[in-house]
Amino acid sequence: MRRSLLTKGLFALFLMLLLTLAACSGGSDDSESDSSDSGEGTDEEQEGGEAEASEDKLYSIEDFSPSASNEGEPIDGGSITYGLVSDTSFEGTLNWNFYDGDPDSQVLKWFDEGLLTYDENYTMTNDGAATYEVSDDNRTFTFTIKDGVNWHDGEPVTAEDWAFAHEVIGHPDYEGPRYSASFQNIEGMDAYHNGEADSISGIEVVDEKTLKVTYKKATPSLLTGGVWIYPMAKHIFGDMKVSEMVESDAVRKNPIGFGPYKVESIVPGESVVLKKNEDYWRGEPRLDEVVIKVINPNTVVQALESGKVDLVSSFPTDQYPDNADLSNVEYLGKIDLAYTYIGFKLGTWDKENKEIKPDPDAKMANKNLRQAMWHAVDNKSVGEKFYNGLRWNATTLIPPSHPAYHDEDNPGREYDPEKAKQLLDEAGYVDTNDDGIREDPDGEELTINFASMSGGDVAEPIANYYIQAWEQVGLNVELLNGRLLEFNTFYDKVGQSGNDDPKVDIYQGAWSVGYDVDPTGLYGREALFNFSRYGSEENDELLAEGVSEKAFDQEVRQEVYNEWQELMVDEVPVFPTLYRSLIVPVNNRIVNYDLYADDMSTGDTYLYELGVTQEEPVTAE
Amino acid sequence: MNHMWKFSVRRMLIIIPQLLLLSLLVFLMAQAMPGDALTGQINPDLDPQEMQEQREELGLNDPWHIKYADWITSAVRGDLGQSFQFKMPASELIWNRMVNSFWLGVATLIITYLLAIPLGITSGRFNDSLLDSSITGYTYIGFATPIFIFALVMLWIFGYQLGWFPTSGSVAPGSDPGTFEYIVSKINHLLLPAISLGLITTVNTVQYLRSEIIDTKQKDFIITARAKGASESRVYNRHIFRNSLLPIAAFFGFEITGLIGGTVFVERIFGYPGMGDLFIQSVLLRDYTVVTSVVLLFGLASILGALISDIILSLVDPRIRIK
Repeated sequence: MRRSLLTKGLFALFLMLLLTLAACSGGSDDSESDSSDSGEGTDEEQEGGEAEASEDKLYSIEDFSPSASNEGEPIDGGSITYGLVSDTSFEGTLNWNFYDGDPDSQVLKWFDEGLLTYDENYTMTNDGAATYEVSDDNRTFTFTIKDGVNWHDGEPVTAEDWAFAHEVIGHPDYEGPRYSASFQNIEGMDAYHNGEADSISGIEVVDEKTLKVTYKKATPSLLTGGVWIYPMAKHIFGDMKVSEMVESDAVRKNPIGFGPYKVESIVPGESVVLKKNEDYWRGEPRLDEVVIKVINPNTVVQALESGKVDLVSSFPTDQYPDNADLSNVEYLGKIDLAYTYIGFKLGTWDKENKEIKPDPDAKMANKNLRQAMWHAVDNKSVGEKFYNGLRWNATTLIPPSHPAYHDEDNPGREYDPEKAKQLLDEAGYVDTNDDGIREDPDGEELTINFASMSGGDVAEPIANYYIQAWEQVGLNVELLNGRLLEFNTFYDKVGQSGNDDPKVDIYQGAWSVGYDVDPTGLYGREALFNFSRYGSEENDELLAEGVSEKAFDQEVRQEVYNEWQELMVDEVPVFPTLYRSLIVPVNNRIVNYDLYADDMSTGDTYLYELGVTQEEPVTAE
Repeated sequence: MNHMWKFSVRRMLIIIPQLLLLSLLVFLMAQAMPGDALTGQINPDLDPQEMQEQREELGLNDPWHIKYADWITSAVRGDLGQSFQFKMPASELIWNRMVNSFWLGVATLIITYLLAIPLGITSGRFNDSLLDSSITGYTYIGFATPIFIFALVMLWIFGYQLGWFPTSGSVAPGSDPGTFEYIVSKINHLLLPAISLGLITTVNTVQYLRSEIIDTKQKDFIITARAKGASESRVYNRHIFRNSLLPIAAFFGFEITGLIGGTVFVERIFGYPGMGDLFIQSVLLRDYTVVTSVVLLFGLASILGALISDIILSLVDPRIRIK
């Protein structure tokens, strides 16, 4: 009997524990939705009070520097651990010409690099291992590799190697993901890719160090990522079949490059040890050794705290507010090349002609309706309440990560529910049956289906917030299928393979943007990823002008893209909601590190200069 | 012994339809996952035309029964296909991971039994005592604790706070395979995940052993032994323990099945590159060839586990064989 009593007692205890846990989580949920309710609430005053009351701090990306503060003198040598933060292990395709996933590129950047570097506007510079010159017609680029640029095995990096990389990627048997539009822009590439020619007519090896590449179309995109900058060691890969290269030991087990560190050993999928490359063309690296280890995003904070990693490849921004005062790390930050947006479905994809097919009768085809929906949402509050200010109100479709092209003077559409109501009234969206919900201009009931992706804790509250905000101006918006959609399902429905789900009226997605600001790949008439299926002559013209020869002049290009940003604010096929920041913690002993150090020459910091001020990592007290 | 053979052969023949059914289910379910290996690539730099061609080449556009037939015929020949994500043969990829998972499984089983046997015996022998209640208390907590939370807590305490164990990977970076340091480092890396998993999986066996002992304790032959004047320790060590242990040994096979579920979480949390980790990763990236192969192997392990259990049981208890 004693036993059963005790068991019962234990059971009761567990039940109580469970209930308390449930109560706790219920409580916090409530408070969260409370704050979002008042966030969408009416007057500023109340909001201010709310912000004061809440314990959450607000941060701003402007308070972060992209460079480590360099306190203290670096010692000679030293070893650091680089945490490769990833849900998935690195695949081990360790060659720029073949790699696919981001984790591999985080390993690659330590031992291999591009021959050219980019400045803060993502434009090619002459500061890297090679220099370039452009011909008068802007179509032919002459590249010269600097002396002393050698592969890790001592062989010089030659123009032949660079041409070889083009030949491999353009080869019919090449299976990697690199054969893109910019390759097709090289003269003679089509014929070579189809197997009609044995060589690429537009590529000429002038001498050991000089390469000449002629492109079909002169476009400023060539300067911002349109040139293939990674050579491939012909003395190693030259005798291999293209289809066998990616599986070879030269990619998997003993990869080489010409970067500041050399690969010493690899444990597939989990770690890599690199030693310094004394022969590095910029100079001898300061560190003796770099160890790269894969760490799970769930444990990254503990790994930093205990000094098990000095640097990380990325950091989950949502963990920052709780760990902002870790004593042994310094947080660096920059504006991420990305934006979140809400899009309106304005047509479908024409599979036959491979272009968008706008539908003038689409539910969202009314411009006033779209403008009103932008005015109705308060993205400033969304950024503050859900992201502690680390994401903030977005204004145009070119994010401020591209300072030269982001139009700072364009305010986008500000939060103004009254304006939204007025716009809807004007367009004839009025409440005809007094249920508090507006009907469409024909007096039919209007229900807007909203597709949104799952992922992260805040995905659902944010989607709910938008729905409530639209309800405040009298629009009935419902989540498609009543719930959030998983990533693959979401993009299937939105139209990643051209089969747009007609039930989707609006959707929330995100884009990361490349070095090149040209938005044609996302908003052009022939872009499959133009999910809103918006097209207009004015849009076509502006996009074409942005990549025309005239636009080689940066001022002209800026003007064109300012006009395009304005057009998008006026037409609202999609509207940007939030810009993002990228926060990366580094151990206090790290000096000479810069978030741009990997590929940019904005500052004067390069990876080979990275150093430490003491032998052991600083740990948290 | 003749009966034994008959039983074993018959039991093994059943595996063939089981495997076929399993492979079909696995395959169909993988097909039902939204998206494919290429859908994650929403990138305007990639030519949709080029992606279509790749799909065609990879056979992603074929109807399912053709895909299944292709897959199963090459799988029988040991070719599990090419991993799209890793760009290498799935069998090679899985083999590398399987070695890690195997050692993790072995270590976990050792810990499971090291814990289960003394705890189960104590609990059963002194049932209804305070000691017994604490042990049962522990097993209830063990039943109620999700392994993924428990593993995180263990990692936090012993890996990060106390720093006794490495926190990720299967071996220290840069160690030379084959050296003594390499082996020590391997063992060191799998201890914490194995302990975390063992502490949870052992509760089943503890409970089972406990009730088995309590049951046996009241059997007539024990009463007879006691009546004949056998010492208490002899009664327990000779008679009760032996008899209670046999069914436990028989459940060894099922233990393997249970382990698989646990390793998926544990490998993920400890960043331990085994099959479970590979499985989740491939699901996330829609790397079908790997997903189906891994699930098939997991299924195979379960079926073999059940087979081992049945054979052990039939050895232990002849009544099963006769049926």
